[in-house]
Amino acid sequence: MKFKYLGKSYNRPDAISKVTGKAVYLDDIRIPGMLHAAILRPEYAHAEIVSIDTAEAERMPGVVKVVTGKGCHYHYGDNIRDLVPMAIEKVRYIGEPVAAVIADTLAHAEAALEKIKVQYKPLPVYIDARDAMKPDAVLIHKENGEYWHLPTLKPTPGTNIAHTYHLKKGKGVEGFKEAEVIVEAEFNYPHGSCTAIEPHGSIVWFKEDNTIEVWSSSICPFIIREDLAHSYEIPVSDVRVRIPDIGGCFGYKSDITVEQTVAWIASFVPGHPVKWVATRQEDFTSTLIAHGIRSRMKIGASKDGKLVAIQNEVIHSGGAYADTAVNITIAATHNSAGPYEFDHCDLIGYTVYTNTPAVGAYRGYGHQEAQIATERMMDLLARKLNMDPIKLREMNYLVEGKVNALGEKMWKSHGDIVTCSNMVKEKVFSKAKPKEDENYYYGRGFAAAMKSPKGAPFSTKGCYMKLNNDGSVTVSMGGAEVGQGLRTVVRQVAAEALQIPPEKIRVYTEIDTQYSPYEWQTIGSMFTTQGGRAIIRAADKLIAVVKSTAAQVLKTDVDYLEYNGEYVYLRNDPDIRVAVADLSRGYITSDGITIGEYAHAVSDARLPRYANPDENGQGSLGVNYTFGATAAEIRIEKKTGKIIVDNFTSVFDVGQVINPRQIRGSVLGGVTMAIGATLYEKLEFDQDGKIKNPHMFKYHIPTYKEAVPMDIEFIETPDAVGPFGARGIGEHSVIGPAPAIMNAIYDAVGIDFFEIPITPDVMKKALEARQEK
Amino acid sequence: MLEKISFTINGKPTTVEAEAEMMVLDVIREVLNLTGTKHGCDNSTCGTCTIVVNGKAVKSCNLPVKRIEGADVLTVEGLAKGTELHPIQKAISESGAIQCGFCTPGIVMELYGLLEEKPEASQTEMETALNKHLCRCTGYEPIRDGALMAQKLLQERK
Repeated sequence: MKFKYLGKSYNRPDAISKVTGKAVYLDDIRIPGMLHAAILRPEYAHAEIVSIDTAEAERMPGVVKVVTGKGCHYHYGDNIRDLVPMAIEKVRYIGEPVAAVIADTLAHAEAALEKIKVQYKPLPVYIDARDAMKPDAVLIHKENGEYWHLPTLKPTPGTNIAHTYHLKKGKGVEGFKEAEVIVEAEFNYPHGSCTAIEPHGSIVWFKEDNTIEVWSSSICPFIIREDLAHSYEIPVSDVRVRIPDIGGCFGYKSDITVEQTVAWIASFVPGHPVKWVATRQEDFTSTLIAHGIRSRMKIGASKDGKLVAIQNEVIHSGGAYADTAVNITIAATHNSAGPYEFDHCDLIGYTVYTNTPAVGAYRGYGHQEAQIATERMMDLLARKLNMDPIKLREMNYLVEGKVNALGEKMWKSHGDIVTCSNMVKEKVFSKAKPKEDENYYYGRGFAAAMKSPKGAPFSTKGCYMKLNNDGSVTVSMGGAEVGQGLRTVVRQVAAEALQIPPEKIRVYTEIDTQYSPYEWQTIGSMFTTQGGRAIIRAADKLIAVVKSTAAQVLKTDVDYLEYNGEYVYLRNDPDIRVAVADLSRGYITSDGITIGEYAHAVSDARLPRYANPDENGQGSLGVNYTFGATAAEIRIEKKTGKIIVDNFTSVFDVGQVINPRQIRGSVLGGVTMAIGATLYEKLEFDQDGKIKNPHMFKYHIPTYKEAVPMDIEFIETPDAVGPFGARGIGEHSVIGPAPAIMNAIYDAVGIDFFEIPITPDVMKKALEARQEK
Repeated sequence: MLEKISFTINGKPTTVEAEAEMMVLDVIREVLNLTGTKHGCDNSTCGTCTIVVNGKAVKSCNLPVKRIEGADVLTVEGLAKGTELHPIQKAISESGAIQCGFCTPGIVMELYGLLEEKPEASQTEMETALNKHLCRCTGYEPIRDGALMAQKLLQERK
């Protein structure tokens, strides 16, 4: 299908405001009368609070109020209501809010913070879920099981297990009886951080009229609104949440993170807006962290390479509060079958309370943590079968008609993994590998990838569209622009749907729950798919309104009329027409009488067929899968153990490409993040639960000089759900790099790795150990 | 103790009263309300606070305000003339170098400090300059493309 405005690299609508420094981010907002908060963090990662003495802090210059958790009567959370805005009787992780100072300036608040005296009684600290799961482990939440939780969640009272998810397909473990060859291994995807360049922050204002105003660097304004209304027992409509520009999200600004804490603090000074922005250290210690997933995987196959059964045990160190971790555990568990069909699956995932900051979303949401195992296992199995690892995959891909672990049948519209795989094979493996030389070993590794959709009951996205009296159109939605380029997608899809040039489509800048249409939250690479669909549905309604007015003007039935963006005209005689611009406020006739109605429309779109898991952990995620294939070409420096990625190839079937430059940018960024996780990044905890590297100069994210050359291509099998056949791409690119690089390391030096990051030190030690053998 | 410190900012002579040890970043953002310069980390790692002082790109988060007494200071707000973007801004806004935009002002000012003085800067000089900036969105390739495009525009301008 030929499109007029899709498949073209239009500039971003927000590029100029960002390049001139005029885009407004959370910390740029100034409100008259605004106060500033600083938050005290504990000295222990797990301890009872014996006493808090705030007297001296209260006497410090500029101090308006010192706040503790005392008297807080509510818990909050979307999945498990286990969160508190400020520690009450105990602290459960090193970055937890213990007390806060509100002052006229941030400097005054910070100075007073040092005067608060807290006495603690330390408790045992668990960083690794395997320790927290031991029968004699101290309970991090003695209330586990008593908290309100979604009906689909299964906490185990009296333990630190917040949720167990168990998926069974076919005969489950019994299926291994049909296998002739079995491989088993354990993997670890350690804790990390999204590390957006903009730290988290919020402004909360309890107003005298008992309403609440909030500004936050968040992608879930409507969740914040509902959550605060619930906690403070006011109507949802009396909480107004605004989202300015966001300086990167990558997951950890989803779900409710810092807003409830800032609200609790601000609730003590009604009438005053209170601003809090995380220091970089707090952004690491006191917002959401990532991953922390271990898996023990077993795969069985026939001698000729047909996959038969998979078993996986996912042990998720979920952090001090499990509300945000549980769905990642579930995603990591059911996605651990990867892009392959197994007749029999037994996949179990445990979300376990530990004494780290809560684990939350990170670009990829369980996929890379699971498929690091699956894609390494394919290579291990191929080795055991003495088969080519790509050929083994080719025999088992989840192609049209195959059934995944969840029991969903794959459609042609989910994309063509075989072509993705073949393209990567051709690009990377059809040429000869460089030969080992004096300084380097060379290797190549492959990894396929599958991305499942992310839905929930009523996880919808809305669109409000109005036609202006010059024929331009204003589009308002609730999707958060975090850098992913959503505003460009809105503009191009609306242009295509309305047949109006993109220059005449004005895309919303901020989100305001008072005006913006509802959106669950901008997560899971779902905006293009669902948001785009909502745009098309709103456009169809808008066109219907315009046609209905035109029918009155042209004195005909609607079904004789055509619309082309500029005119509504009689199908059989296009000269009989009325300009779309003249239909925007109804049609004003020459005598001043207006006929028809104001041309605006509202719509929303969910994922079709989303259903909660059944008793076997199976269900429908909403039929919007995406597949791809990747490969790494690497060099290992003999002297230092440094791994250099000479080229990384990614091919995804994304359906219709909306903006070629932007989609390449998305994959470039995703692969770079995942290479960071594979080679450098890990949040390091000491045995007391303190984070050893909560700074950008210690937590190393990839730099300019470490950028990797990339070969990126897309296949465009039209999607059945997304707008004009488009699918999302936000997270997909992070799935392949770790296993592809690890498979390449084996190819280069014959060493198997099962955990990341593989730093030069780790690699060098492994090379030395190999030498000794 | 508050001190009076005078300097030129974006072409305008200015005097501020501030603690001498206050960092330039905080003066620019909190006293002068020029919020285009961003605060990304607290220890001059990320580079998003970069401004141009006397023609040179410097990080403003660890620069005490007394050090800019009498200096000529330029922030990202001082580059465009009305709706006419500076060539570096034009290049960066069109190359795909902008996603979330939070690192962008720092990168624009870094390139300004390098290329205004030396449009023929070598590849190594460009790499060294841009390596002072962290970007989590783009994978850097579009930033390199934008920098090269900016360099070309500036060379043509001269």
